[in-house]
Amino acid sequence: MRKLSTTKKTLSALAIAAVAATALSACGGSSSGGDAATGEVNYWLWDANQLPAYQQCADDFHQANPDITIKITQTGWDDYWGKLTNGMAAGTAPDVFTDHLAKFPDFLKTKQLLPLDDAVSKDKVDLGQYQEGLADLWVGQDGKRYGLPKDWDTVSLFYNKDMLAKAGITEDQMSKLSWNPQDGGSYEKVIAHLTVDKNGKRGDEPGFDKNNVATYGLGLPGSDAENAGQTQWSYLSATTGWTTTDKNPWGTHYNYDDQRVQDTISWWAGLIQKGYMPKLETTVGANMADNFGAGKAAINAAGDWMISQYKGYKGIELGIAPTPQGPSGKNASMFNGLADSIWAGTKKKDASVKWVEYLATAKCQDVVASKAVVFPAIKTSTDKAAAAFKAKGIDVSPFTQHVKDRTTFLVPITDNGAKVAGIMKPAVDAVLSGKAPASSLTAANDQVNALFAK
Amino acid sequence: MTTTSTRRPFRWGLLLAWICLGLAIAISVLPFYWVLRTSLSTNGSLASNSANLLPADFNLGAFKRVFGLQSPEEALAEGGSGGSINFWGYLLNSFLFAGITTAGAVFFSSMAAYAFSRLRWKGRDKVFALFLGTVLVPPIFTALPNFLLIKNLGLLNTMAGLVLPYVFMTPFAIFFMRQFFLNMSREVEEAAMLDGAQHWRLFFQVVLPNAAAPLATLALLTFMGQWNEYFWPLLVGSDESSRVLTVGLGVFKSQSPQGAPDWSGLMAATLVSALPVLILFAVFGKKLVNSIGFNGTK
Repeated sequence: MRKLSTTKKTLSALAIAAVAATALSACGGSSSGGDAATGEVNYWLWDANQLPAYQQCADDFHQANPDITIKITQTGWDDYWGKLTNGMAAGTAPDVFTDHLAKFPDFLKTKQLLPLDDAVSKDKVDLGQYQEGLADLWVGQDGKRYGLPKDWDTVSLFYNKDMLAKAGITEDQMSKLSWNPQDGGSYEKVIAHLTVDKNGKRGDEPGFDKNNVATYGLGLPGSDAENAGQTQWSYLSATTGWTTTDKNPWGTHYNYDDQRVQDTISWWAGLIQKGYMPKLETTVGANMADNFGAGKAAINAAGDWMISQYKGYKGIELGIAPTPQGPSGKNASMFNGLADSIWAGTKKKDASVKWVEYLATAKCQDVVASKAVVFPAIKTSTDKAAAAFKAKGIDVSPFTQHVKDRTTFLVPITDNGAKVAGIMKPAVDAVLSGKAPASSLTAANDQVNALFAK
Repeated sequence: MTTTSTRRPFRWGLLLAWICLGLAIAISVLPFYWVLRTSLSTNGSLASNSANLLPADFNLGAFKRVFGLQSPEEALAEGGSGGSINFWGYLLNSFLFAGITTAGAVFFSSMAAYAFSRLRWKGRDKVFALFLGTVLVPPIFTALPNFLLIKNLGLLNTMAGLVLPYVFMTPFAIFFMRQFFLNMSREVEEAAMLDGAQHWRLFFQVVLPNAAAPLATLALLTFMGQWNEYFWPLLVGSDESSRVLTVGLGVFKSQSPQGAPDWSGLMAATLVSALPVLILFAVFGKKLVNSIGFNGTK
């Protein structure tokens, strides 16, 4: 496991270096586009769960445009980005690929994406049909559009219904949790009560043995700082009024020196000290969802793309609750979206544009909705997805409620994404493992902001 | 009475030896058993049955996924990726990649070793030291220059691009064969020389036949190393026609951020892909150990 991940890191590093080395030559070839809209378009995605849906879209598209064939390649998340950057350097990247907001600025910087503005205005793509804000995310600092929204995700709490019942906590209580960074509010009380040690003592009972815990109240996948705390702590820190950057998208100043985020992370790290959450070192090579499936955690905070995995564990009654209400009086969730982008080096420009536009229509997104795996970006398709989930016996309202109540905040989009992650991850890791106080994040924040000072 | 008392201390020692041996076997075999056990399990049940030695919800689905016999929908329902895996194609590529590099590296390296051990030329030992010094260069240093070279040659995603960096020589192979040649008696060669044999003939008809054992060892070691090679094929062989098995197995890894891998599929594929090497080792293993012992390069 460890060996693989080092290989992965080296691969990404190498690939980035190679992209930098060949970026100029790659974009030089792109301007010569303007071919007939025929041939085979290569399309990449990472989520296997969505593959059948997009295969169907591709088949429908081919039926409507017999001259164009879509070849879909699916690569797991772990290898996807390394392969993609490697492909850009090698000149073998796919024509169209699923793009992620955290990676998108780096692609812009190396000029790997094709602007879509001309096509969007020519073909009159209605940017108002998407959930609010999603379309704006894919506009670069140059004011040009580099992607059309395909889906969105928010964060909620997955919980084990049996454990809740045994602890005497009602599902109604679970759906109305409150939280503050000082004593953790009812959220911490529930987490403590759901924590059970090897002798059956609960976390809030006298004699609880925090060094021999059988079931943790809250699961932990790692510090999540490389994703700006997307699923693990940003749903809390955002309720204090804190924002990651000065403005979003394209902020140039990070705010990890703020007391509010430091208090949040300090509280979160405190759960480990109290024995309510697994130690950071135990998360290496482990999988939070699998631990939940094994009954080793009662609550996991996770994104909606994980629904099918959580639903798949045998012997677990799955419940989903909204994230807790914070000092702001509301709850919060990071709002992340994916889009389809076109690689600047494509030799099938017109066909690729057609395919990207088709992916962004209600026709294709309704197909995705019907498979009940993610929430499509188009408003009407989102509702259809929620209905499809319901038909499968899953109430996804905690996820959709965030969007309806506008309790979302956008994933921070800035330059230097990979470098910021490289600084913040070890910094938050150190706080979580008890090696440094939360105030040490101020120094890391200075390092991060120095990246933007040039 | 007297016979048993003289035997008893000996038996205790034997028992202890057997226990130690049994433990050692158990420790080395258990991981393989665990791979087998996981590959026969159902993904959704693995987590809750982690302490059970038997497969969790016995199921052959993982092997079906490996051989591409499951529809994406079925695979997804069992916690698989639904991604396509062209198992036999990857297997063939793996055999070609490992086979070509092994044949090339063994042949060319033994020629080089012959030159370093038998021919006399100015600066020979210095050049050899330089060659040996390249063992010290971590392969990662050469990955990027090699990649750019292969890219500029237009050989990305081809078998030629995959095998080129390995096919001519590896420093270890040269060192290994040179040590062997140095220990070989020269008398036969001198006799052949008196009969008028030139170096080519000496090499092919005298030296190589006598070096069959170390050649087999080297071939086996190289083949196993190449079979397991991951990083270079990942960089260079990314499309269907040049993807090897180690890279192809990536389809069983985690498919979404924070998602869990398809454990049973991954283990089934690992088992199947390890089989050729296991078989090779079972057949030639003893020869290999003997030869390394004989050669003194432990």
